[in-house]
Amino acid sequence: MRIQHAGETFRKEDEIPVKVQLFVSCLADMVRPEAAIAAVHVLEKRGVGVEFPEGQTCCGQFSYNAGYQHEAAVMARHFVRVFESGTQEDPTDILALSGSCAATVMHTYPGLLYEDALQQGEPETKAREWKKRAEAVAGRVHEWSMWLGEHADQPMAPNGSPLPVAYHLGCHMRRLLPESRKAQDLLRALGIDAREPENAEECCGFGGTYSFTEPVVSTALADDKLANVQNLVQDAGAVCLTGADLGCLLHLEGRLRRQESSLPVCHVAELVELADQNRLTPDQVRQLEQGGGK
Amino acid sequence: MAGQLPYDNRPWPERRDAALQNQTMRHTIGFVTRRFTLIKGEIYRTSPDLEASRKTAVGQKRQAIRDLPQLLEQFRNQVERRGAHTYLAAQAQDAVDIALNIARSHQAELVIKSKSMVTEEIELNQAFEKAGIPVRETDLGEYIIQLAKERPSHILAPAAHRNRHQVEELFQADASREKISPPQSDEIEDLTRYARSRLRQEFLRADMGVTGGNFLVAETGTLVLITNEGNADMVTSLPPVLVSIVGVEKIVRDWASLTEIIQQPAMSGIGRHLSSYTTMIQGPKSPGSVEGPREWHVILVDNGRMALRDTEFEDVLSCIRCGACLNACPVFREVGGHAYGSVYPGPIGIVETPLLTDFQVLPELPSALCTLCHACQEACPMDIALPDHIISLRHTIVKRHLNSSTVNWTLRTWARFWSTPGGYRRSISLARVMQRLSGKKRNAQGLFPGIFAGWGQTREIPQVAPKTFHEWWQEWKERAEEK
Repeated sequence: MRIQHAGETFRKEDEIPVKVQLFVSCLADMVRPEAAIAAVHVLEKRGVGVEFPEGQTCCGQFSYNAGYQHEAAVMARHFVRVFESGTQEDPTDILALSGSCAATVMHTYPGLLYEDALQQGEPETKAREWKKRAEAVAGRVHEWSMWLGEHADQPMAPNGSPLPVAYHLGCHMRRLLPESRKAQDLLRALGIDAREPENAEECCGFGGTYSFTEPVVSTALADDKLANVQNLVQDAGAVCLTGADLGCLLHLEGRLRRQESSLPVCHVAELVELADQNRLTPDQVRQLEQGGGK
Repeated sequence: MAGQLPYDNRPWPERRDAALQNQTMRHTIGFVTRRFTLIKGEIYRTSPDLEASRKTAVGQKRQAIRDLPQLLEQFRNQVERRGAHTYLAAQAQDAVDIALNIARSHQAELVIKSKSMVTEEIELNQAFEKAGIPVRETDLGEYIIQLAKERPSHILAPAAHRNRHQVEELFQADASREKISPPQSDEIEDLTRYARSRLRQEFLRADMGVTGGNFLVAETGTLVLITNEGNADMVTSLPPVLVSIVGVEKIVRDWASLTEIIQQPAMSGIGRHLSSYTTMIQGPKSPGSVEGPREWHVILVDNGRMALRDTEFEDVLSCIRCGACLNACPVFREVGGHAYGSVYPGPIGIVETPLLTDFQVLPELPSALCTLCHACQEACPMDIALPDHIISLRHTIVKRHLNSSTVNWTLRTWARFWSTPGGYRRSISLARVMQRLSGKKRNAQGLFPGIFAGWGQTREIPQVAPKTFHEWWQEWKERAEEK
């Protein structure tokens, strides 16, 4: 299905609006709700109904990648229960505000829930049932910006030169979600000149709990990444650092602030909302950082 | 049985800091690894027809590992039929003892070697030097680090951490020790010319040669060596006694399989279709022939490898030591090979080191030296599931209680709170309280529990929003209902 845009709402009058469920991720929920709020506004503007299952917490990727598989499975089962409830007859797409979380649900959940059920002494049939439930949920999960680029037409890009930004494509989105590089096309269509820094395919050093347990190496990697981002600021006039994964972005932002840099850092949804409102200027982007964008 | 691997006994933070402070090394390693990765990507991109060959090679190699016991027996029979000797060394020490006995029985006075990772693994040089038998490395990179009294920092390019100025200094010192004329400059050509003439003398003098092996062809009992310098040709043809020390996993079934797999190390390692030299040995000198060793001994090393068969880690035995995963790894690019403390650094090293030794050495590697970026998975021509293995090893570390109590406490408490909406809400209230207590102070990590404090050492800690999205949504929904 493709959502057309017409006039102010980018929505075809006679089309029944689609509905999606939003998984905002723990990080957006707690420290960058503006990203999730922008994501809601952007979807609604395109005629997409947003449902937010309020029982949601975290996908459990932190625990899984640190080797705590049972702990991850506890959170994964919770995720599956939350997102399968009330959707039996009408399964909607689940849009995740993080490429990395989306990859976890898609690639890790089925095997994890199967294995953990067996580990907990459940019979094979029960384990297989968990696997099936996980697969059903996994099949509905998409990263937010990739879904938007694929399913919704965008308003015409404003006249004038596009706004250059530094775009960070996180490793899991890059390597585990097929065609993820297309996510940048969405931004370009909206008048955002998304540019990847040099050595873009190199990890920023976040790595989930790695950023806590190995701060030294994690930060050395961040500094390499940020040096290349700063080059984009200097050479291409990039006005901010953006991306679809708040884990990477908060890690890089934390480093920038410790080094007294005021380069704005924001989630792509915040930029898309600015574009929707025709407010895509360096000033408005700077205000996002101060929470003034809302 | 678990194998034995040498290791650097400095603790990880010390190895890490030494590496991060060595700016020359970081610059050199960063340059070399990015360059290797670039040319590797380029050659696979421009030879799309070879992708089928790579896939065939992977399938055949996996099957060879499943058939390893039978293929090893076939290989040994073929080699012995031609009058050479074979040995199976269960552990590193056994391999060293066998090699030393051969050297002693021939009263060897100088041993020359071509590049071999397995001899690093069993610390052959150290054992020979201790027994009073000098060993000379003849691969240029190995020769450099031998002069520097270092271990290889990279499985393919052992001296990748050193630049040419540093190499010149080593050669100058060597020349003045040996009272021979030093290299004329630090240009690569002059350095190579120096090493070439210096090593030539030792090639002619040596009475025993030692090689590793890239492939063992079971069908015909053939040892295949690939090099870029031709030194393996000299090592295998000049000295009267040849000892080849090879990991058991190097087996390929037949020449058809060899044809598929032989391009992979060069393509993935140095971005070329084939290494400059391919050396094949199929027995000692036969009567009447002019070249080749009088005696050939093949020591097949297990050292923890066989125990990986029939486990989820079996694909690790398909590794062809091309180094592509090291080159692609952002952590390796940052800290270089020596920081790992193992002879096998990089992604394959952090998987193999604990596996071969059953976590007896360097158990911190899977957790401390990987961000799980999956670049290694993308780089590995043999499709080894490195990130999955790293996660699985981290899980083993948890199960064996090898993590610190802080890490355990954090991850378990975290899951307890976040597996219910109520617990999740309580954790947010707690975070807000801590945030209020710490005020706007910098470096307030002391107030953050468990492993979270680590973040604040180098980065500002993000503030919990005055209104979370959950809280915003409640209001938004109510407003919408009022309308």
